[in-house]
Amino acid sequence: MTWHVSDDLREGYLGGGLDPALAMSVETHLARCAACRAAVPYEPEWLEESWRRLEARLVAPRPGPAERLLARCGVPAHLARLLMATPTLSRAWLAAVGAALAFAVLAARVDPAFVPAFLVAAPVLPPAGIALAYGPRVDPAYELLAATPLAGARLLLTRAAAVLSTAVVLAGAASPLLPAPPWLCAAWLLPSLAVTLACLALSRLVRVPLAALAVTGLWLAVAGAAGFAGDWVSAFAPAAQIGYAAAAAVLLLRLRAARTRGETDTG
Amino acid sequence: MIRIKDLTKTYGRRAALDGLTLTLGVGVTGLLGPNGAGKTTLLRCLATTLAPDGGRIDAYGLDPSHPVQRTALRRRLGYLPQDPGFYPHFTAFDLVDYVAVLKELTDARQRHAEVRRVLAEVGLTDRAGTKVRRLSGGMRQRLALAQALLGDPDLLILDEPTVGLDPEQRMSFRALVSRLGESRTVVLSTHQTEDVAALCERVVVLRQGGVVFDGTPGALAAVAEGRVWLSDAAPEVSTLFWRTADGRYRTLGEPPPAANPAAPGVEDGYLMLLGEAA
Ligand SMILES: Nc1ncnc2c1ncn2[C@@H]1O[C@H](COP(=O)(O)OP(=O)(O)O)[C@@H](O)[C@H]1O
Ligand SMILES: [Mg+2]
Repeated sequence: MTWHVSDDLREGYLGGGLDPALAMSVETHLARCAACRAAVPYEPEWLEESWRRLEARLVAPRPGPAERLLARCGVPAHLARLLMATPTLSRAWLAAVGAALAFAVLAARVDPAFVPAFLVAAPVLPPAGIALAYGPRVDPAYELLAATPLAGARLLLTRAAAVLSTAVVLAGAASPLLPAPPWLCAAWLLPSLAVTLACLALSRLVRVPLAALAVTGLWLAVAGAAGFAGDWVSAFAPAAQIGYAAAAAVLLLRLRAARTRGETDTG
Repeated sequence: MIRIKDLTKTYGRRAALDGLTLTLGVGVTGLLGPNGAGKTTLLRCLATTLAPDGGRIDAYGLDPSHPVQRTALRRRLGYLPQDPGFYPHFTAFDLVDYVAVLKELTDARQRHAEVRRVLAEVGLTDRAGTKVRRLSGGMRQRLALAQALLGDPDLLILDEPTVGLDPEQRMSFRALVSRLGESRTVVLSTHQTEDVAALCERVVVLRQGGVVFDGTPGALAAVAEGRVWLSDAAPEVSTLFWRTADGRYRTLGEPPPAANPAAPGVEDGYLMLLGEAA
């Protein structure tokens, strides 16, 4: 032991004014030298408080990169937490969606006759993701979470939002690569929204996977009918878009009304 | 106060709950019963994760079949399911923190402090940063218990909480639960009659979806009063006997020749009860 904590150094340490490296070496010394330790006054409360602060720093959450990004974009931390635990937002799901979209874009670039395939497929992604996001079969922690106040419709809604935004971001990134006019490239957006909201509304009546299957079928029927009529673009034309927007608005209002009535759960 | 009346639940043709009636108050109540007796089904109905086919539950004046009241009841309960599933890529802290978010603890600082508290209660503070998939079975069970303690619920529902715990952990579990039971309603299911004897002031034995016994552990032991025997020679044919550590034979049922009566335990009473009911 070559030195002891001088009075000056002790004052500085207690006052918190030392630079971190010096404070650390004072601490290391205090841990080994009973004489210097005895000269440091402490109050039990202060000790307790510092211990709590230390514990808070050691035992703390580890938000992942995506969660940090959301938080930086202004999403409240607890909501970011909720969104990130969505089972479908796994790497496998993201890879599958990315691959499907890339394949559709590639096909369309090889032969523009495949442009409708992309536009029809994009709105199918959110309900498929929602079906895989919440339920006893797909969520390993379902039984445990189902007994919490946020379980049921509220949790499903949050996860659906996470699924929808990921699907929109991915499809949005892919669609400028389509060999089609810009308005047509974005024509999947409103159908996606309407289909997602319809899925959520229907899930109040039937199980989520069934609801997803039903709205997917409905959407494919609408798009297919236009295709059979020989004019697939009509399923994405302005008149149809107004229809999707109106449907989305009505469904959104209904969901909000159900929420204010406090119906948080269907089963 | 929790009143359960004429609860029924059928799976196909099989009645998992068959008109079960039970009242639960403050204290630790243990559910005993053979596999398939309906313990899990009952606890799931109480935890609001399963809707019964018939009958009603009244918990603190709340009816879980009503959506708004169900949410209100969920704010007051903690639930450890029989096979708790986890997200394996979460750390222990993150998992409990996530459940805390779902329990509406939105303020991050308060929530984190509460998560640290429950992790400390189950002795997992030093594992807070460990991924769930790297935890042992006993640690996962304690983690599942920790999340049930979040927000200090009035009603604690624990489905086979001592599975996977070693004797030492089981002791600290008992200490924790008996402390909680002083001011809360704790209902737990178990296969361990020792847990019941050591921990529960009340035992409810279920069989085929109904209550066949409801009383103190002492009263359950008393069911086998006068039916437990110790003898030096092996009984010839008897209902049930085994050789104890000191080399004598312990018989449950009719006395073998030259036997001395022995004091019954909770397990004797339980076996007697199930044997007789058969
Ligand atoms: N999801 C289910 N589907 C079909 N049968 C079930 C289901 N859950 C429980 N059962 C049946 O209900 C009965 C009671 O089961 P359970 O409540 O798990 O009993 P315990 O927890 O006492 O072992 C059993 O016969 C079981 O097979
Ligand atoms: Mg069970």
